[in-house]
Amino acid sequence: MSITLVNPCNERKLSSAHAPRLQTLAGKSIALLDISKPGGNLFLDRLERLLVEQYAVAHVTREIKPTFTKPAPEQLIEKLRSVDAVVEALAD
Amino acid sequence: MEQCYLIPNYMIEAGHKAPQFSSTLPHGQPYLLVFLETDCPTCRLAIPYLNRLAEQSAQVRGISQDSDTLTRQFTEQTSVAFPVETDTDLRLSRAYDPVAVPAFVLIGADGYVKRAQIGFDKDELNAIAAEMGRRPIADAHDGAPQRKPGCSSRHLEPSDSSASPEPLNLYAAVGSRASRIDVSEDPYEYCFREFGDPLPVVPPTVERVERMMRGLDPARVIGMIPPCYGEATVEKIAANAVMAGCEPGMMDVLLPLVRAVCDERLNIHGVQGTTHFAAPLIILNGPIRRKLGFACGQNVFSNVARANSTLGRALQLILRNLGGAEPDGIDMSTLGNPGKFAYCIGENEEESPWEPLHVELGFRSGQSAITLFAGEAPHGVSEHRARNARGVLKAIARALATVWSYRACMGAEALVVLGLEHVRTIHRDGLKKQDVREFLFNNTGIPLRAYDDDGEGTNQTHLYKEINIDGEPCYQKFRSLEAIGIIVAGGGAGKFSAVIGSWATGPRGSQRVTYPCP
Repeated sequence: MSITLVNPCNERKLSSAHAPRLQTLAGKSIALLDISKPGGNLFLDRLERLLVEQYAVAHVTREIKPTFTKPAPEQLIEKLRSVDAVVEALAD
Repeated sequence: MEQCYLIPNYMIEAGHKAPQFSSTLPHGQPYLLVFLETDCPTCRLAIPYLNRLAEQSAQVRGISQDSDTLTRQFTEQTSVAFPVETDTDLRLSRAYDPVAVPAFVLIGADGYVKRAQIGFDKDELNAIAAEMGRRPIADAHDGAPQRKPGCSSRHLEPSDSSASPEPLNLYAAVGSRASRIDVSEDPYEYCFREFGDPLPVVPPTVERVERMMRGLDPARVIGMIPPCYGEATVEKIAANAVMAGCEPGMMDVLLPLVRAVCDERLNIHGVQGTTHFAAPLIILNGPIRRKLGFACGQNVFSNVARANSTLGRALQLILRNLGGAEPDGIDMSTLGNPGKFAYCIGENEEESPWEPLHVELGFRSGQSAITLFAGEAPHGVSEHRARNARGVLKAIARALATVWSYRACMGAEALVVLGLEHVRTIHRDGLKKQDVREFLFNNTGIPLRAYDDDGEGTNQTHLYKEINIDGEPCYQKFRSLEAIGIIVAGGGAGKFSAVIGSWATGPRGSQRVTYPCP
């Protein structure tokens, strides 16, 4: 005997596609997104140096979220669309 | 020159037979193939140099990896002086296999590769020109860099062939109906495995869910639950309410509760994702408490009443099943909070000498309301020896000083839950709720001597306000009077109160929200 249940879960299809991976960092434009947690700038300063000095990244853009507790504002996401890749930095 | 930093260069090498690509090239002459992309800055940089080579009648062929339209725009913008063909299916790119663009392949008159190079390099460009019997094309001091790496070749960029999900409509009024699941095994075991928290749930059968909805439109969207923005239709809310064990009347509270939890000010997106202890505490006020049987007295925070436990659990199931905050996934809380099973209390309005929370916030006393506060678990304050309001409130102030972290000031908020014995003592001494708030605000501080070494809160003392508490210089704990919420709850015996610390607060964190109930 079977019983029919109402699905109580989210049935909306979620995107599981990843952005295309970069094959090389050389010559790329990379954005470093600080989520505005303490220490994020220290981590990103070092990362920026490594990307430029060791991986020949052409251009590094630094952006910062207004608060780590909320999703990035639409305008910030739009700005990030112009780069080849984004590194989002957590901290604490 | 090292162009490739992450993966080895498998590009065709000198000495190999060049794959055929076009019949338009004259035989018996060397020619240079240049693979390029229209959005690659290094490709743009290389164009004037290649033009110089073409102007000396050298055979140069551009191979664009982009569409005809983009390629035409590119050649017009950069005044390309040599023919450019498109390789939109990337067949040729795969044959030559450059890792990056621009890629230069010099093919001799014999059809064999003479040189192959990627990226911009003035020495390399001049070497190509020399090999083609032409004058140098790149001046070392023309202002352009000596070298510039390029962009990855299009044929190496993984393509995304998966179907895109439908765009999210946060303002949809009508949603989709829930699917039906036929279960032939024990439905309790099935639900235990597939849905909900790790305790058994009531199976959400079609009949039970319909009873819960009481004729409401099942497809009506009440909210989209962050962080995954699942659609909380009446039907989905009802299914979770059934699972939590709610009685059908609870839908009167659940619908405004779902609206409240989706309020951007509460920021449930952050509350559900944080590593902190926060969980949304539901506080009920008004006649709905008695009507639906919410406990406000003894054991108010625990397992005393079906209404508290099932409403609290329903909200948590909704957040998990529709919001996607899996406790072993997106919900990253380091230590968690027992309130994530159920965290729901009623204010003991009948035993309180003051106006209840919702009246303080502007609602009528006959109105019912729900308040959500992202808080830690309650921290008990025992004060059995104090004989007056000051003694009780000093004990509470000392507990308040520890909220978030002892030396961190100005950030956190707190909810003070005054027990009945304490509130009677305070009231007997003539204090009103606002007096209590002011006393706690002015008497909660951290002595300056506590900041003698490094640690959380010590690096922001320049933002703190110095006050004097009982002759001792202190930093004031809270930034404003409003940072201290006060309610009355609990049973008649025991000189206990509780403080509940907040998560991150204000517009950049989570703000307390209050919604009316029918």
